[in-house]
Amino acid sequence: MTRIVLDRLHKAFATQAAPVLAGLSLDVHPGELVALLGPSGSGKSTVLKIIAGIEQPDSGDVRFGAQSLLHVPPHQRGAVLMFQKAYLFPFLNVADNIGFGLKLRGASKQQMRSEVGRMLELVEMPGIERKFPGQLSGGQQQRVALARALVVEPHVLLLDEPLSSLDTAIRHTLQETIRRIQRELGITTLLVTHDLQEAIAMSDRTALLLDGMIEAIDRPETLFQRPPTQTAARFMGISTFVTGRVEGAQLLAPWGALQVAGDGEPSHAATFAIRPEHLRLLDASAPNAVPGALQDVAYNGEFTLYHVAIGADDVRIKAYQTVPQPPVGALVYVQFPPEHLFEVLV
Amino acid sequence: MAKEGIAGQIRSGATAAATHQRWWQRLVIALTLAPALGLIAVLFGTSVVYGVAQSLGYLPFLGQRTLTLSAYRNILGGGNVAHDFWISFGFSLWVCSAATLLAGAGALLVVMLFGDRLGGATRGLMILNINLSFPHLVWAIGLSLLLVQSGLLARVATALHLIGMPADFPVLVRDRYGIGIILDYITKETPFLVLILLSILRSQPHAFGVVAQNLGATRWQRLRYVTLPLVLPGLSAGALLVFAYVFGAYEVPAVLGVQFPRMLSVLALEFFANPDLHSRAEGMAISVIMALVVLVVALLGRILSNRSAS
Amino acid sequence: MRRFVWNIFLVLAGLLLFAPVVIFGLYGFSTRYFYPQLIPSYWSATAFLRQLTDVRTRQALILSLEIGTVVSCLSLLVGYPAARTLGMRPFRGKSVVYMLLFVPTVVPPVATGIGLNILFLRTGLAGTVLGVALVHLIPVLPYVVFTLSSVFARYDPHYEYQALVLGASRVQVFWTVTLPLIFPGIVVATLFAFLISWSQYLLTFLIGGGQVLTLPILLFSTVAGGNPQATAVLSLIFVTPVVVILIATSRYLATDRVHGESGITL
Repeated sequence: MTRIVLDRLHKAFATQAAPVLAGLSLDVHPGELVALLGPSGSGKSTVLKIIAGIEQPDSGDVRFGAQSLLHVPPHQRGAVLMFQKAYLFPFLNVADNIGFGLKLRGASKQQMRSEVGRMLELVEMPGIERKFPGQLSGGQQQRVALARALVVEPHVLLLDEPLSSLDTAIRHTLQETIRRIQRELGITTLLVTHDLQEAIAMSDRTALLLDGMIEAIDRPETLFQRPPTQTAARFMGISTFVTGRVEGAQLLAPWGALQVAGDGEPSHAATFAIRPEHLRLLDASAPNAVPGALQDVAYNGEFTLYHVAIGADDVRIKAYQTVPQPPVGALVYVQFPPEHLFEVLV
Repeated sequence: MAKEGIAGQIRSGATAAATHQRWWQRLVIALTLAPALGLIAVLFGTSVVYGVAQSLGYLPFLGQRTLTLSAYRNILGGGNVAHDFWISFGFSLWVCSAATLLAGAGALLVVMLFGDRLGGATRGLMILNINLSFPHLVWAIGLSLLLVQSGLLARVATALHLIGMPADFPVLVRDRYGIGIILDYITKETPFLVLILLSILRSQPHAFGVVAQNLGATRWQRLRYVTLPLVLPGLSAGALLVFAYVFGAYEVPAVLGVQFPRMLSVLALEFFANPDLHSRAEGMAISVIMALVVLVVALLGRILSNRSAS
Repeated sequence: MRRFVWNIFLVLAGLLLFAPVVIFGLYGFSTRYFYPQLIPSYWSATAFLRQLTDVRTRQALILSLEIGTVVSCLSLLVGYPAARTLGMRPFRGKSVVYMLLFVPTVVPPVATGIGLNILFLRTGLAGTVLGVALVHLIPVLPYVVFTLSSVFARYDPHYEYQALVLGASRVQVFWTVTLPLIFPGIVVATLFAFLISWSQYLLTFLIGGGQVLTLPILLFSTVAGGNPQATAVLSLIFVTPVVVILIATSRYLATDRVHGESGITL
């Protein structure tokens, strides 16, 4: 099992003013699956390309364990990439596609046949050796591409949004398959995605990549529930922030005083955040509730989205159960449960 | 009941409209295709009919109106005519095979070595395109001035003291082995095949190479296991088209060839231009045979290229 | 190392390409250029100017231009609707249509020309400019249809629908939307159609019967005459439009694969 160390990677392209990677450091533990989550253009794919050796960093280092890779040619790195499309060679059948890497290493025909069979079992597609890529669906193609990547027993698996062009249902089953195989083989994996759900569902740890740096990295549930910074919080779907002074267990905000889960820190200025599904919409005053005017109600199937104007701010509330349904424009109360309010760095 | 009736009416109205629409579309298709297809059909069709008729001895200007296979018998059977024909046939095959194989190998080599650079280099593409557009007649003339025994190459050789006089320079044009003709076609058709191969490579995602590299392929292995299988069907198709073209072309052997041996196209035209009008039938029969060979080869190439495209 | 090999390759390829043109220049702009001179000792434009002002050359030049223009314009006119249908409408028998257009382009001109010779003699078209122009359509028209249909195959008709919805008439749509969108394809198709006609020797010879003296006919008879100087000058005149057209369309050719694909100009 291999540990991936990315050490202060810098990379800029001539066509863009801002650098794509601005001193990115990341440590992926042996056997771990880390998801690199970021908006498009945040340099996620560049990270993978640098690890695979397709791109060179301007400065910084890539190490597997203690060994630096910068001077190892791409085909000797043992880091296999999977792309958004499967890129199965159209002139080879499934067996020859999977066996491609083995052939390069001079494996015998018999060895190839048994390995291909084993790999097809692993990706849950046994018996399709003779088919050609054109006869497979997108999801099946990605399974074959996964088999083709794994058969060479790489040190590291690099996944570049391999599921983003697939339908939702197929995407979810493939997420599970990849996750299962990754755990079985214990292969260190770096997954790049812009899909929050995918990152959370698949990773041991999720790293948020913003502006060429790791903004935050943590276990997915922690990152989702308690993002450490305001930027990270916004990316996790949080839009309600309350800024004020903390005095004991009280946050003195422009809307009034709110109870927070303080532990008796000294008085300081702070910004608190709360997930939209943790806010509660009430039609009467209650503890830790702030009055506001209901601006908009949008029924969304699984949940209902309310917009409430508090002062000049727009507060979004996601309610998964039906709540009293006041008319738009009515006076409502938004309750901030203290256990869900958490401090973020600005 | 009433409801059903209305629904039925609507449905039948819809189908009537659809039928009408279909007819209208067919009419548009037919009318737009008609002028082009008509012109080609009349021009080419009559050429085929008259050509085949003549080869069968239908020569009304000689008062000959009965159809016979004697022209074909003369060509393919014994006698002087057949002797000429088979020698020319063999010579054509030799020239075509040599030119096609060498051009194909050359194109493959160029693309394997420089494909990645050439694909992006506008300059390179431009050179290939200019070469492709040069009329064969002019190219042959240029080569003959370059390669004759008193030509530019011989003069360079003299200046370098490699040869003492023109007669020392090898006979490269108007030679009995068709070397001049073959050289002409190699220099013209290699760029053509390179362009075909480049367009195939360009239509393939660049990622195939990256994927292979990522799976551990060296540069050579990428060429061998990815580039080669990607371009091979297209190359074979292109080579067949080249073969078909060379087999039937006239200008180059006329400029760079000798009286003996002649390529089939030259032979056919000679029979046709013979003052003895009876040999017209034989000239035409040679053309028909030539056309058949060319068509079979070209259609094979087309099938191959369609299959590799899909 | 690879850079070095690449440069050598470029030089060789360039030499090979320009060698004929250089040779034409050496022979055409000199006098008494005999073996073993590498470079002519007497440069002169007299031969070139004499050939250029020669009545036969001028007439051949004009005739070739006329025939080329008529043939390419006619092919465009006739080929455009067919190409649009082939490129954009699905219909049964499309492959048959393509085949019908493909076959005439590969059957050797020797066969086509000899076959048409008698018909044209009978109808009085042999030996006329019209007859020659008609026979040029056999290689040119399919080329135009193929080129334009591949343009239309990549053409998105939604631009036209948008214009129609905004109130443009069919004619307005053609001039303001369709034409600007396919203009590069039209230019390439027309100019290369011209070049194909311009380069025809054998069909012109077989149908023109020595009475329609286009530039290739004149060039070929000069070659037979064995005067390298006259041959070189005529060759230069003959290839000039080719190079001009290539350079004029180069930016379309670099981006468009039309030309390399069709393979008609082989």
